[in-house]
Amino acid sequence: MSGEEQNPAAVPDPVQDVQGDGRWMSQHNRFVQECKDAEPDVLFVGDSMIQLMQQYEVWRELFSPLHALNFGIGGDTTCNVLWRLQNGELDNIRPRVVVVWVGTNNHEHNAEQVAGGILTITQYLRSCLPRSKVVVLGLLPRGERPNPLREKNASVNSLLRSALDRGGPVQFLNMSGAFVHSDGTISPRDMFDYLHLTAGGYSTIATPLHELLLQLLEETPQERRASLV
Amino acid sequence: MFNDRAMSSDDSNPAATPTPCQDIQGDGRWMCMHNRFVSDSKGKEPDVLFVGDSLVQLLHEFEVWRKLFSPLHALNFGIGGDATQHVLWRLGNGELDHISPKVVVLWVGTNNHGHHPHQICGGIMAIVNLINQKLPHAHTLVLGLLPRGKNPNLLRDRNAEVNQLVQSEVATLPHASFLNVDPGFVHSDGTIWHQDLYDYLHLTPQAYQKVCEPLHDRIKALLDQPAENQVS
Repeated sequence: MSGEEQNPAAVPDPVQDVQGDGRWMSQHNRFVQECKDAEPDVLFVGDSMIQLMQQYEVWRELFSPLHALNFGIGGDTTCNVLWRLQNGELDNIRPRVVVVWVGTNNHEHNAEQVAGGILTITQYLRSCLPRSKVVVLGLLPRGERPNPLREKNASVNSLLRSALDRGGPVQFLNMSGAFVHSDGTISPRDMFDYLHLTAGGYSTIATPLHELLLQLLEETPQERRASLV
Repeated sequence: MFNDRAMSSDDSNPAATPTPCQDIQGDGRWMCMHNRFVSDSKGKEPDVLFVGDSLVQLLHEFEVWRKLFSPLHALNFGIGGDATQHVLWRLGNGELDHISPKVVVLWVGTNNHGHHPHQICGGIMAIVNLINQKLPHAHTLVLGLLPRGKNPNLLRDRNAEVNQLVQSEVATLPHASFLNVDPGFVHSDGTIWHQDLYDYLHLTPQAYQKVCEPLHDRIKALLDQPAENQVS
């Protein structure tokens, strides 16, 4: 990305209330409030892929026990997530690991811009939380059959894989391979609308993610005295 | 393309004009889902059909569906984001062609942005009429739109007005009825809690449980009635 023009996918931007019920800002405000009360070890931030995870059993089984907070908002782009992080959603918390999953809704941006937007988020997280680890989840394929958005998401993933060192403070975890069958189709048993995951779909990705989080939490010291178990 | 004469597209009401969703994003998901529903309807014999937007679609993904509605032999034709004109198009383009459910549960209208309550009501009634034409022995159960947003807002007012209009219109029909499924999501201070509507629009599994118990009972009562005699 050249330094001369700003990457539009890396420009922080709140969601405007077009529909009339102010839901996006209400959710953001709730997350900011949660930061005042909670001491999460893991913060999940992103779009509906993050948000919906909390509604399934897998969250209660695997991620709540890690003292995780979920700051996902459906429809969010990299611009929206960046704005939220810069406007209160990191205040007063020191999560040891931040999981970032965003980019599939960046319809106005090309793959390079989307990858750049995701990296801007990780750089911002590193600057606020220098002792924390970041896990970037690869964008999943979408649509029932091969289509341009699958190619775009795959390009974003390639760019991220190149940019992020294995074992460094920002890691890339890509689980896309699990969902496309040999005939190129995605099953509604995994993605009920060929985009959002079912309970079964989340179980598939939760296992490797949970293992990675356990490993990273072990490596990353707490900054306060250990909480009683 | 089927264009029914008796409840034809009302060009003066966009909410009642059958309209497919255009593939703007590039992955054709809406049409894939519609085609899957059409082909599902060829293989199955549901007694109950749920049709509508994401509130219907998401219901299928939680335990409550398996516990309460699978045993009733139900199919789920919900698509997130759908407004009345999209559901009208889907039902007129194959989704009702090969099945004869006894009960159709219709839940749509909250995504009709830019439409007035009368238009949204018109859209819902157009769907009720289309179902009645295609499935003359089915009873359509129209569910009330839920409140939305954390605090009082215009969309809550709009949804409440739609519910009033639809309830009156449906009362005159022998083949349809209206059910308010809001268990009281709005608290005395006017707020909706995220424990019920996690984004102030979509239901958590626990909220679905509260909504679905009375809904299940109502559907069972309708299924137990002899077909010709359904009275709301």
